[in-house]
Amino acid sequence: MCLAAAMVGVLVFVRKRSLLGEALSHATYPGVTFAIILTGFFSLESALPFLILVGAFLSALAGFWIIDRLEKKIKVASDAALGAVLSLFFGIGVTIASCAQHSYAHLYRQMQTYLYGQAATMTDIHILIYGSLALAVLLFILLFYRHILALSFDPQFAHTNGSISRFLESVIFLIIVLSLVIGVRCVGVILMSAMLIAPAAAARQFTNRLSTLFLLAGFFGSLSAFLGLYGSFELSNRLGGHYSLPTGPAIVLVSGGIALFALFFAPRRGLVSRYVRKTKFRGVCVQENLLKVLWRLSQKEQNHIGFKEISQYLGYSSLYLRWLLHRLCRQQALIKWGKAYQLTPQGVKKGARIVRLHRLWEVYLVNSLGLKVERVHKSAEEMEHILTPELERKLTELLDNPRQDPHDQPIPTQDEALHVF
Amino acid sequence: MYFNPYTDQDFLGFFGVFFSRLFLFVTGQLPFESLVSDEVQIMVLTCVAATGAMVGTFLILRRMIMLANALSHTILLGIVIAFLLCDSLTLPILMVAALITGIATTFLTEYLNRVIKLQEDASIGLIFSIFFAFGILLLTLFSRNVHIGTELIMGNVDALQRGDIKIVFSVFGINALLFLLLYYGFKITTFDPNLARAFGFSPLLFNYLLMVQTSAAAVGAFRAVGVLMVMAFFVLPPLTARLLTNRLPTLIGLSALIGAMASAVGVAISRNILTVWGVGLSTAGIVVIVLGIFYLCAILFRSIDFSVRARYYSLSKPSLKKDEKNCSIG
Repeated sequence: MCLAAAMVGVLVFVRKRSLLGEALSHATYPGVTFAIILTGFFSLESALPFLILVGAFLSALAGFWIIDRLEKKIKVASDAALGAVLSLFFGIGVTIASCAQHSYAHLYRQMQTYLYGQAATMTDIHILIYGSLALAVLLFILLFYRHILALSFDPQFAHTNGSISRFLESVIFLIIVLSLVIGVRCVGVILMSAMLIAPAAAARQFTNRLSTLFLLAGFFGSLSAFLGLYGSFELSNRLGGHYSLPTGPAIVLVSGGIALFALFFAPRRGLVSRYVRKTKFRGVCVQENLLKVLWRLSQKEQNHIGFKEISQYLGYSSLYLRWLLHRLCRQQALIKWGKAYQLTPQGVKKGARIVRLHRLWEVYLVNSLGLKVERVHKSAEEMEHILTPELERKLTELLDNPRQDPHDQPIPTQDEALHVF
Repeated sequence: MYFNPYTDQDFLGFFGVFFSRLFLFVTGQLPFESLVSDEVQIMVLTCVAATGAMVGTFLILRRMIMLANALSHTILLGIVIAFLLCDSLTLPILMVAALITGIATTFLTEYLNRVIKLQEDASIGLIFSIFFAFGILLLTLFSRNVHIGTELIMGNVDALQRGDIKIVFSVFGINALLFLLLYYGFKITTFDPNLARAFGFSPLLFNYLLMVQTSAAAVGAFRAVGVLMVMAFFVLPPLTARLLTNRLPTLIGLSALIGAMASAVGVAISRNILTVWGVGLSTAGIVVIVLGIFYLCAILFRSIDFSVRARYYSLSKPSLKKDEKNCSIG
């Protein structure tokens, strides 16, 4: 059930209309309450689940229609339209519910379950209905995957492909409403939107492909449903019946937790990993800058370089600098003689390569792009860490293997510079 | 039960009694303690509506409605935690709770959006649903009773007391004062953020201020209409007023007026239904529906206006074309 919701969530997510789900799930409430009242009046207890589905479906449709109308005819901003429909429908629902509050207490309680969701009280017939609906949603996505892909990312292209897109557009919308209606029973009207958003947002952190996105979101959705259900059940037992944890919020909390975790720790797009990558790159830059200084010093006054001289050129604290030097020693680019340092042949080559990249880029900027000589140093300072061997080769070819940079300093030849990669 | 002059009054009679008693109250002949529940309801709802209308106008103009929606959900967590920590819900505590949740929600949403680069709608949805779920969880855990939670969410106008008037009125006063003092700042940051920045008004600061005001308004309203239906008070009156005017001061005034009118009418209808059919409906819900009907009326009014204007234009068009022709020949 949450599986279907999560998959549909992807649909909404990639179209940047996540909050539509929020508005529509609120819009189902009057339908639900009305259906419950109807069954209460005509004592159609057996048809209740079915009627509720129909009611919720119809009122969500009405809500969508009104939103659409507001946006297109009256040119209301979309967020205002969503907010208006959301609150208006919820108000209607509450009014209908209050109608039953005093006269039909048991019906009222039933309505409350739809606010927060009660998965625990579901019976076989629920499972049958909702299971088949979820299956329908799944089948639809499988069958029309290509069209959905086109429609989501390039609507214009999809429209040129003919009438199927319009048909599909409405079917997708129907599916969205359907999955909302399914999920409302489980997590409740208010929190339903979370089930649309959270799994999709989490899955987006791990992949760039739509198909994987669907799968992952479905997985996260069902995982959070399972964990939430199990957790609330188990905890309620542990706490000895005094407290009963509502299942809906529990599920939402779990899926929200997964989403947050993914946002922070996902391998490629997560905040932490991005931070790690940034720091690593900065470390490489620092090391290369140090190598450059060492190389220049060793060119000037031969082998032994004192610590003081190095620290004159770099603004790092002495402790940090010592640690950097130590690391270079361990990479066998540097040898420590007592208090002085000497670059190994390998270290010389590494340093030469960086200086070469720096000066090549300066030549390129001045010769090919026509920049002023005194302004190119800063850009080269950054590019020297980024240029790849392939780019280096291209630059060399383009510039006809220059010997001197614009500041009249020699460029180390390719033989002097080692290709690290 | 004490005497209620509104029992067995019909719809118009309700207003007759209300206005005569309001006159007595304003002129000081009717003491504060003798206000009956209907009057309390009207006053509270009017204040809520007026506050909501003021805040909502700017929310709509700044397209921040969905953020406000998120706020109306997260405020639940704020209220619950405040209640758990302090065991009472007095005005200062509520205000602090509103302040903190308002800032926290806005900040977290911005954080997800800017730093983690989640798209805006998703970050709003994610934050508020987590907050809300947590709020409900705490609520059911510690109150052992979902009923209070339901009341928080759906509001219960009938449970209002005279003390609530003071709360909503002070919220209304603070908000009105802020808008009066900073009207220029709000106006300029809403319509032209760049110009505002050049003049030294930080749009971000005003964003946060507005969100805090929104949460204060939501907190003031939650007893009466619940944290969810507050949204209707934020959105519908300004939208209705927006159809009728293009000027900002008129917009604010008109939407406050519409909200106040809708709450009075809503209370009257609720009372009327109670006397005629003996069914007690949720007054807040009715007020929201009345707001919706007002909006519908405004739309109809506008479309009639438009059709009249369209006819006018279609009549005047041929002459225009003639002019063009003459010009091209000349």
